[in-house]
Amino acid sequence: MWQAIKNFYHRMGTPREFYRIAGYWIPIFGVCFAVLFIVGAYLGLVVAPADYQQGDSFRIIYVHVPAAWMSLFVYVVMAFAGAIGLIWRMKMAFIVMITSASIGATFTFIALATGSLWGKPTWGTWWQWEARLTSELVLLFLYIGIMVLYSAFTERKTAEKAAAILCIVGVINIPIIHYSVEWWNSLHQGSTVIREGGPAMPASMLTPLLLMALSFQFFYGWLLFIKARTQALTQEQGSSWVKQIIESKQVK
Amino acid sequence: MTAKQSTSHFSSFTLFLRRECFLLWNNQENVIQPLFFFLITISLFPFSLGSDPELLKIIMPSIAWVAIVLAIMMSLNSLFRDDFEDGSLEQWLIGNRSLALIALAKIMVYWLFNGVFLAILACIVCLSTNISFEQIKVLFASLLLGTISLQLIGGIGAALTVTIQRSGLLIAIIVMPLFIPILIFGAGAVTRSIAGESVAGALYTLATLAVLSITFAPFGISFALRNTIE
Repeated sequence: MWQAIKNFYHRMGTPREFYRIAGYWIPIFGVCFAVLFIVGAYLGLVVAPADYQQGDSFRIIYVHVPAAWMSLFVYVVMAFAGAIGLIWRMKMAFIVMITSASIGATFTFIALATGSLWGKPTWGTWWQWEARLTSELVLLFLYIGIMVLYSAFTERKTAEKAAAILCIVGVINIPIIHYSVEWWNSLHQGSTVIREGGPAMPASMLTPLLLMALSFQFFYGWLLFIKARTQALTQEQGSSWVKQIIESKQVK
Repeated sequence: MTAKQSTSHFSSFTLFLRRECFLLWNNQENVIQPLFFFLITISLFPFSLGSDPELLKIIMPSIAWVAIVLAIMMSLNSLFRDDFEDGSLEQWLIGNRSLALIALAKIMVYWLFNGVFLAILACIVCLSTNISFEQIKVLFASLLLGTISLQLIGGIGAALTVTIQRSGLLIAIIVMPLFIPILIFGAGAVTRSIAGESVAGALYTLATLAVLSITFAPFGISFALRNTIE
């Protein structure tokens, strides 16, 4: 069993095997994402009742909250991938890290943009210097820093390692940034999903939220596989297996 | 064997302390430029905000903190630049001395000549706005504790970008988000003291961050240097 996991892990680490295996997973992830997204969006936007305080404007949480969760999740994935790449010199780990950066930055941006769209009717302002908003903004800066650092090097291998180190330094800093900003100022409504005594949300509102969160996970996996596959092909363009793939496509 | 090793670590630490002091003494622009940069930056604020003494009295310490963060960020570019260009950095990489200790010695000297001087200068500037001596003391303590962390964390950014030619703005982008907690607690300590609240929490947190940076950042710096210099 352990041996099988180790074998699978090592095979996923080489671009060639990753390309092959990811090819099977892309349609599965795409279908899961589409089904969950349609069901979740329907339940959230049509079936769920309007909030007694916020009316229909609360429905933006079905995009806002999953995007905010994903923005943190993707960063942690990047840090793990970066550490694996640094320790075992695994090519695919760096590719996963770098392709995740732009996806994660986009999730962060979506969370910030939907948050400020929601803030205008509810708080009466687009932006507040408030704890969670500000730490999300700092997270966006961290993502941008990693992408800028990666693109600043001419040598790809150095760029990968430097970006991975920055990623790990950033992940150590995220809790510090979060608590410092919390200490500094807090106005955001408290957590309603994860708290003592169960979620403070009726099931008709919670179920679509969880479905959307799951669909965002599949969306990330789907995008990641597509982008990482392309990146693997670009990086390995000199090797024979890439040439074989190109030739087999040309024959058709 | 361990005793012998520890003495050799200690001797290499003091050796590099002396080397860095000597180098800074010979390149005094590395000490003076951040001070001038700080003075110019801090004097821009009254031009843009107006010269109302009551307003300046409240915001001057916070402005001083921002100006110090910027001044340290500008000075990071030169931290490893000369050592990289004259090849001594590569010698340290292949030598058997601990690179983390060398980095720590280097940054301690930079802190002594940049951080401490900047903190003194900031206090002198803030005295001109008639804030009380009590608040000046808080400002000085927060700056002394904060600049250690700023320079050590900034050192990781400098180490990551040492092989890149024009890295000034790049360092700013990658290091700025990591500076935010220190700025929050540092400037927060002074604003709390102006508001008459307790400053102990903020100062203790700054001290914690300083201890954490002294413990971990040198290893980050040495790891970054090892991985970016081929």
